Amino acid sequence: MVQQKHPIYRPVTRREMLGMCKAGFGSLALLSLFGSIPGCSLFDQSQSDLVKKLSGSNPLPNFVPKAKNIIFLYMDGGVSQVDSFDPKPRLEKENGEDPGKKFKVDATQFGNVGKILKSPWSFKKYGESGMDVSELFPHIATCTDDMVMIRSMVSNFPEHTSANYFLHTGSGLQGRPSMGAWVNYGLGSENNNLPGYVVLDGGLIPPGGLDNFKNGFLPATYQASILRAGAEPVANIRPADSTQGIQDEKLAFLKKMDNHLLSSLGGADEIESAISNYELAYKMQSSIPELTQFGTETEATKNLYGLNSPDLHTRSYGSQCLLARRLIERGVRFIELTCPSVGNGADRWDQHSNLKSGHENNAHAVDQPIAGLIKDLKMRGLLDETLVVFTGEFGRTPFAQGLDGRDHNPSAFSMWMAGAGIKRGTIFGKTDEYGYRVIENPVTIHDLHATMLYLLGIDHKQLTFHFGGRDFRLTDVHGNVIKEILS
Amino acid sequence: MQLRSAINYKILATLILLALPVVFFLSCQQNYSPALPDTVDFNYDIRPILVQKCYLCHGPDSSSRKGNLRLDTYEGATALSKEGTKAISPGHADKSTMIFRINHKDPEIMMPTPESNLQLTKRERALIEKWIDQGAEWKQHWSFIPPTISDEAVLQEKENEGIDHFINKKLEQNGLKASPEAGKTSLIRRVSYLLTGLPPTPEAVDEFMADKSPGGYEQMVDRYLGSPHFGERWARHWMDMVRYAETKGHEFDYTISGAWRYRDYLIRAFNDDLPYDQLIREQLAGDLLNNQRINQASGENESRVATVFYTMGEGTHSPVDVRQDEADRIDNIIDVTGKAFQGLTISCARCHDHKFDPISTKDYYSMFGIIEGTRFSPVPANTAHQSGTIQLLGSEKDSMRAIIAAKWINGLAKKAERVSVIPPTLPTEKTNETTVLGDFRENGLGEWKSDGMAFSNKTTLGDPVFDRQNKIVSLEDGKASSRIIGTGIFGALRSPDFIIDKNFIGLRALGKDASVRIVIDNFQLIQYPIYGGMDQHVDSAGWKNYQFDVSPWKGQKAYIEILPGYFESHVFKMPTGAYVEVKYAIAFNDKWTEPPYQFYGQPTDLQTALDNWIHFKSSSREISAINTLIRKQSLPADMHELVSLLKQKEKQAATLKDSIEFISAVTDGYAKNSPVFIRGSYKQLSDKPVERAFLSALRPANAIYNEKGSGRLQLAQSIANPANPLTARVMVNRIWHHLFGKGIVETVDNFGMQGKLPTNPELLDYLAIKFQRDGFSIKKTIRAILLSNVFKRSVQPGDEARKTDPNNLYLSHFPIKRLEAEAIRDAILSASGKLDTTMYGPPVPTHITSFMNGRGKPENSGPLDGYGRRSIYLEVRRNFLDPMMTTFDRPIPFTSFGKRNVTNVPSQSLILLNDPFVVTEAETMAKKLVAAKNLSFENRVQWIYKRTVSRTASMEEIGAAKELIQHLATIYKLKGGNMDGDIHLWKDYIHSVFNLKEFIYLN
Repeated sequence: MVQQKHPIYRPVTRREMLGMCKAGFGSLALLSLFGSIPGCSLFDQSQSDLVKKLSGSNPLPNFVPKAKNIIFLYMDGGVSQVDSFDPKPRLEKENGEDPGKKFKVDATQFGNVGKILKSPWSFKKYGESGMDVSELFPHIATCTDDMVMIRSMVSNFPEHTSANYFLHTGSGLQGRPSMGAWVNYGLGSENNNLPGYVVLDGGLIPPGGLDNFKNGFLPATYQASILRAGAEPVANIRPADSTQGIQDEKLAFLKKMDNHLLSSLGGADEIESAISNYELAYKMQSSIPELTQFGTETEATKNLYGLNSPDLHTRSYGSQCLLARRLIERGVRFIELTCPSVGNGADRWDQHSNLKSGHENNAHAVDQPIAGLIKDLKMRGLLDETLVVFTGEFGRTPFAQGLDGRDHNPSAFSMWMAGAGIKRGTIFGKTDEYGYRVIENPVTIHDLHATMLYLLGIDHKQLTFHFGGRDFRLTDVHGNVIKEILS
Repeated sequence: MQLRSAINYKILATLILLALPVVFFLSCQQNYSPALPDTVDFNYDIRPILVQKCYLCHGPDSSSRKGNLRLDTYEGATALSKEGTKAISPGHADKSTMIFRINHKDPEIMMPTPESNLQLTKRERALIEKWIDQGAEWKQHWSFIPPTISDEAVLQEKENEGIDHFINKKLEQNGLKASPEAGKTSLIRRVSYLLTGLPPTPEAVDEFMADKSPGGYEQMVDRYLGSPHFGERWARHWMDMVRYAETKGHEFDYTISGAWRYRDYLIRAFNDDLPYDQLIREQLAGDLLNNQRINQASGENESRVATVFYTMGEGTHSPVDVRQDEADRIDNIIDVTGKAFQGLTISCARCHDHKFDPISTKDYYSMFGIIEGTRFSPVPANTAHQSGTIQLLGSEKDSMRAIIAAKWINGLAKKAERVSVIPPTLPTEKTNETTVLGDFRENGLGEWKSDGMAFSNKTTLGDPVFDRQNKIVSLEDGKASSRIIGTGIFGALRSPDFIIDKNFIGLRALGKDASVRIVIDNFQLIQYPIYGGMDQHVDSAGWKNYQFDVSPWKGQKAYIEILPGYFESHVFKMPTGAYVEVKYAIAFNDKWTEPPYQFYGQPTDLQTALDNWIHFKSSSREISAINTLIRKQSLPADMHELVSLLKQKEKQAATLKDSIEFISAVTDGYAKNSPVFIRGSYKQLSDKPVERAFLSALRPANAIYNEKGSGRLQLAQSIANPANPLTARVMVNRIWHHLFGKGIVETVDNFGMQGKLPTNPELLDYLAIKFQRDGFSIKKTIRAILLSNVFKRSVQPGDEARKTDPNNLYLSHFPIKRLEAEAIRDAILSASGKLDTTMYGPPVPTHITSFMNGRGKPENSGPLDGYGRRSIYLEVRRNFLDPMMTTFDRPIPFTSFGKRNVTNVPSQSLILLNDPFVVTEAETMAKKLVAAKNLSFENRVQWIYKRTVSRTASMEEIGAAKELIQHLATIYKLKGGNMDGDIHLWKDYIHSVFNLKEFIYLN
């Protein structure tokens, strides 16, 4: 069980919050980009509504949280389930036959339905659990005893953008709050010194764009902070001034003048908060870049994550995974990693053709870093309080698109979770003999969201935001916690 | 209240009698703060309690209603239950089970139930009791009652005095004292920013400061009201309401053609003070208005541009479920229409009756039909062709036929020849295999709609064809043609809606650069994958069969669209010379069969045939018979007397050219009554469709829309109707919100029961009534507010206000306001001198930073400084929103945002501290400053202050400037020398001023 601090779970007056901000500068070493402290981060009705809500009879968390943080490994484009975690020997037998004669083929996105296509990779059973993993993921395969495998995922959309919005926001439409924003809104950042919701941009922003990570109608405070590798991990974080001394002078001037304005007005909350803001922004300029420097990490750790791999993309994704660990160590609630761009015509996992080379390139980039992340978290005791989620927006067809690709398949796909609160080493759900449709325990995206929130201690039905005349939630009017996979 | 089965009702009845007096007695002993009003008002005191605490189970939504009790109507609340009790017994709290239940301590009996987590306070319970004892008067929701004014005399007072009358009344009632008037520099800055979004120029400030005349302030206000920049600010307010964007978002972020023209339309409309009711009618039904407003300068049809309102939504390409996609698209339009014009959340009734407001799913689907019957269409951006010319061409055509016919009759009269029309070849068999969707081989276009001028309203049947010697060669066969007048004129020919019930649709067509599209469920973004085959290019001078495989969409509705031109990346193009002609359209399963001719005219004489011909009533058979005579040279062919007429016609036709740029607007389809989607799913429909109509709560019961078209015009009229209790209130409240930062009704987009109550209802009604009497003049309303005392107050609250009205609900002082994203950026450009005040036109491409990635990313980034153009002219790409705008709270464009968030986050400070745009503009300004000769240090600081915070700097401020610059000079190691001359130092100083709170706050 995780001991949590919940600075905003009790009612706090606006004055009090401002007080906290002013008094707390020293300790607020790294402030949230988008401010997670009410009163420092400003607000209006909407946020005070939350505070009101939280101060009511039903404060968050609703349950004892099992996980403190979530690392969401988004496999952009859709990993093929029958080539990764859901072996289907029948495909081997019927390779090259007409799928239309075997089962009813749904309309596909590209309509170019080919023959039944066996997996180019062989499967083996791993760990005590004996979970099946294909050759694509030799490293992840060594972590099966820490994972629950769900082979019965379904989505509502067979097309990337809507499916992405659906996976990220619980709605196929643009402009709704992302799951990370909901978590950030519900729980805030765990240590208040960092954003509650961070997206590590590995190079590929999924179809649908940054709206996958936005706050929608929630206050902007809750949107993702996008971090990239490099000298400027966050927009405008590098001081514009040639030396720190110059900025210091300017800030001293600002403080003097602004305080003068403040006293001439006889005090004004808005302006007071805006002044505080500068001090926090100032600190971030050094603390955020520090976060992305791995100087303190050992060679062994770096090797574990594949930072010394000859594959550029493995190194790149490894850095993201290591950064994710550093962020959760600092208490960031929700971290999403986007995929690296592996090039060679293999755009994401979306192999409408050249399945073999495309999936291999993508797998090679992420396999070692992800396994490294799970092992590193475990060694540090962090896996017990962190939920690692691996999923695409949908799966792929068991028959070919054209000759050597696979089309989108929302009717069945595999995903897995590792770490906190789950029944490790188990498999849940079942697809038909072709891996085309779910035949047992279908899990919807809403169910996934409900379960993720549950593990964080949130009842998905209670996490609501009043907008445009009604209470919205991440799961709309759907979603069931998948109790069977919980420890 | 839910009466639970566990309770024995007889016991319950006894309990009521025993327990109530005790409870009642106890509650009367309480002192409440604030004290209970003498007369409890249903709308202001009671309904908010019912809405918040009771309606989830006892509201309008029948699906979630418990215990068969509804408390949203008087009838429901006072109905006699099976047990013979009443929830509310007017005049008798002691006989009302509601009072019994809300005061009870037993968790099995108490209301609201413990598990609802809703609790009534003691004061709330006492209010309900007192209200029932006073007779439980029920009123309609306040915003549904037409605005009234108790003191008509106030309306006669000078425009601003009425406002202060009601404001002061509230101040008095609440024991508040008004703060004194703000200083003149505050006032001019306030007025300038709020009216134009720009700081006042130093000259304007000087002039205003020097003007000591009593009318000085008023004149200053009028100057800003008359400024062309006024529209640039107020249009942007409205753009927040209509999810303004220039691209469709989703995966590839396709362009919305002509979005910027709609933006320009708004700017002009606000500048010209277009009456608000007109603004409503044009946006909702501009294409259907009798008097279309043409912009004389540009030739744009303003009324049609206004309808781009409908196409501002998100656009999904290749949705597998296109029916759902349509439902979502229509929902977005209903949502925005409801919020923007009525302050109502109508789309809440998509899946179930509204939980709080009297809006049923029937209401929702009666509006759904209106939008479903509306079609999207490219419309020429510039429709300068004169309809007069078109009519002239028509009459010339008439007279030409008359002249020819007369000549023919004369030529034949002696012979008295009968024309024997060839007997029809009857179709060998009638098959169910082929359905004729359109047949243009005869005279008319049938039920098809011809939009624009290209196709006119007839086919080509019988049009004379001349050779170069002006001899008639033949009369034309029948076909729908987009070049009846000539090429270069836009038009679209569209079929009525039909249900796809066959595998294929076929059209026999020819043309150049043209296209034929099958529009399924109004879906427009036709492309690969999935829908690619539904858009075929017609590019052949000879007749060809165009075949569409629609088998995957059997059972879905569709229409056929024929266009001279084509879509390229969803932008409509009409190259010079584009045309299209079509003989017929059919649906079939396996084999294409040419449909039989439908006219089997009787044999007739030439006189009759020509008579028909003159009146455009010929059948194809008659024309073919006449053609036989022409071929046999039985008819005089030489028509030299027509030479001048033909030349004139040619000349006139040549002047009729549509622009080659198009906007993405709407046109009317066919009347469409939609069934109710049960629980919001189109897969489960109600048996009967609902008639199109306005919200049932706001119309007479029988006011059904019966237009042959969509019904949009009637919808627009219902909203713009002066009797509509919401329209004027919602708009004056928006105006108030934009001026004071908070509406009289704080929830500007929600005037329903879940919205906030007005803080000053009399003022709101006064403004609404005045707004209507002033001809819906937005500028007059703004002017009246700006001239009032309440607007001119200083931002400093008095002691009383600090204590008792910390949220400044009653406006004893002016609220401090942070400038909006656009105003901050524009202020920086204005200060630096970079501001380019050019108005209108295509947007400046978005500056793409290294953080902005994803599909549909523009190939080239726009300039960092946006060419110095005002922020309203910066491109709004849904998938690549400008980070500075978004960070300073410009809303994400997916629904109406009448009220922006005002956040205060470190990324805002980081932009002002480190963003290259801000730093560059500081440098630009520094260069200008240093280039201005003969300015002393002090005057330089003054120069900067006037351009940034619009006032003079104090000695202390000049001292602070000197100190900063000296410190910086030390760091730059520029001791000695001419420190005034160094651009670096002044750049740093100016950059610091850009970071002052005073720079981005209005006080």
